[in-house]
Amino acid sequence: MDTSLKAAAVVLDSVSKSYGPVEILKNVSVSIAPGEVVTLLGPSGAGKSTLLRCINHLETISAGRIYVHGKLIGYREVGDTLHELSDREISAQRRSIGMVFQSFNLFRHMTVLQNVMSGPVHVLRTPKVEAAALARDLLEKVGLPDKADRYPSELSGGQQQRVAIARTLALAPSVMLFDEPTSALDPELSQEVVATIRSLAEQGYTMLIATHEMAIARDFADRVIFMVHGEVVEDVPARSFFTTPRHERSRQFVARHAG
Amino acid sequence: MTVAASCAMAEPRAVRVKHRLRWGAWLLSAIVLLVTGMLLVAAIRAKIMNLEVFLTYFTSEQVLLGARNALILGTLALALASVIGLVVALMRVSGNPILAGLSATYVYFFRGTPMLIQLLFWFNALPTMFQRLHLTIPFTDIVLLDAPTTTVVTPFVAALAGLGLAEGAYMAEIIRAGILAVDKGQRAAARAIGMTEAQVLRHVVIPQAARIIIPAGGNQYIMLLKSTSLASAIGFLELLRIATDIYSSNFMVIELLAVAAFWYLVMTAFATAIQTVLEKTFPQR
Repeated sequence: MDTSLKAAAVVLDSVSKSYGPVEILKNVSVSIAPGEVVTLLGPSGAGKSTLLRCINHLETISAGRIYVHGKLIGYREVGDTLHELSDREISAQRRSIGMVFQSFNLFRHMTVLQNVMSGPVHVLRTPKVEAAALARDLLEKVGLPDKADRYPSELSGGQQQRVAIARTLALAPSVMLFDEPTSALDPELSQEVVATIRSLAEQGYTMLIATHEMAIARDFADRVIFMVHGEVVEDVPARSFFTTPRHERSRQFVARHAG
Repeated sequence: MTVAASCAMAEPRAVRVKHRLRWGAWLLSAIVLLVTGMLLVAAIRAKIMNLEVFLTYFTSEQVLLGARNALILGTLALALASVIGLVVALMRVSGNPILAGLSATYVYFFRGTPMLIQLLFWFNALPTMFQRLHLTIPFTDIVLLDAPTTTVVTPFVAALAGLGLAEGAYMAEIIRAGILAVDKGQRAAARAIGMTEAQVLRHVVIPQAARIIIPAGGNQYIMLLKSTSLASAIGFLELLRIATDIYSSNFMVIELLAVAAFWYLVMTAFATAIQTVLEKTFPQR
């Protein structure tokens, strides 16, 4: 366990999460290797979003442990007790975990450039000139160099999501979490976002992507984790999930979405 | 067929468009203008005001001092109220039941009692409660303040405390509304890039809440500038107090009330200008 823990990018070790009597995650154990692209599939309410939000401690867990590059997230283990870290310590851990949201969540009062600069400037204390240069590079990378001085409300949904990806990349994260990045977009706009995510996959980013977009799962994901009611039903190479789904629920899911 | 044919054949005919007359609005305008005119005529006929007296006092040294005092008191009270309001609002949204309860109680008391009572209370109660104010820096011998309370709690200090504390309750509700209006996703995104709670507040929540806080805050500033007239009750030399002092000796009541009213209008224009500038600094996006 110890060596695999250090080698893996993300490890969820028997993670459970409940809101009162409602169990959102039930004893989830998952390990993701560096450079791996994993899609989280499953019906709405399966706990995909919650799982992602637990990995950067936006949600607290009820039991289990989460490690990112060998570091226990959100807690300090003393004896047999987990003590929650301070606000400052948790914030420091989040820097290396990038997250992209379904509703983009670009800072509305900042320009596109300021959005991409916000992490380096406010969190890493990078000098503004340097941060601006980095931000322009990243906007170039996501294909939006001419939008630097626009405000988010002036951009299409697909453009906003690409800016959000650039904002996340500005902190050079070691892991990227995508929470249904294309669900708020129409098919055409979602294609441009998928293309951006695909190019990140080709650059070797470690990514965990909760999605309903089968193109991501089929075309460039290494693995599929299929969840139902807070449990991992299947955790298999992407190809075999679509060709030979093992469980009844995944067979139904593939039949409905692959059609 | 025949219809189509006749349409195609007919000469294009010029048609005049005549819109319905909104006679109700016009009638109302006429009535309002008439009533206003009658009031003006009555006022001029009765010679209620001597313009010369008005102009003399408008720029008299005493009146200018009163206007200045009112502006300073109102502005400092707004600053104090904003600080109190921010703290009380943050307590309310903190999620801690005791802090939230304290905050709700504060708002209930200070919003629920007349400002005039609060002013009189601070002016009279503080010196009774504490005979002498004695303030030192803890664990040192340095004395910051040591004086009889009556000399420290001047009418100005009591008025500032009273107005600031009362207004703080209103500002707390305004700031809370502003904070609650910021989308939860904005906060999640800020925390996800590694901002601490304080940074989230400073860089994301407050700038976005400002769009909502500023128009309501501007309104409160105008209210406060006018509420400084309450301080006349505890002997603070503000605009209204000075005006009443003057007319109680020369009996030019209307003229001096008009002078005071005019200066309040000038202050309101000033507050409105500041509000406009701030709204442009934090535009709706």
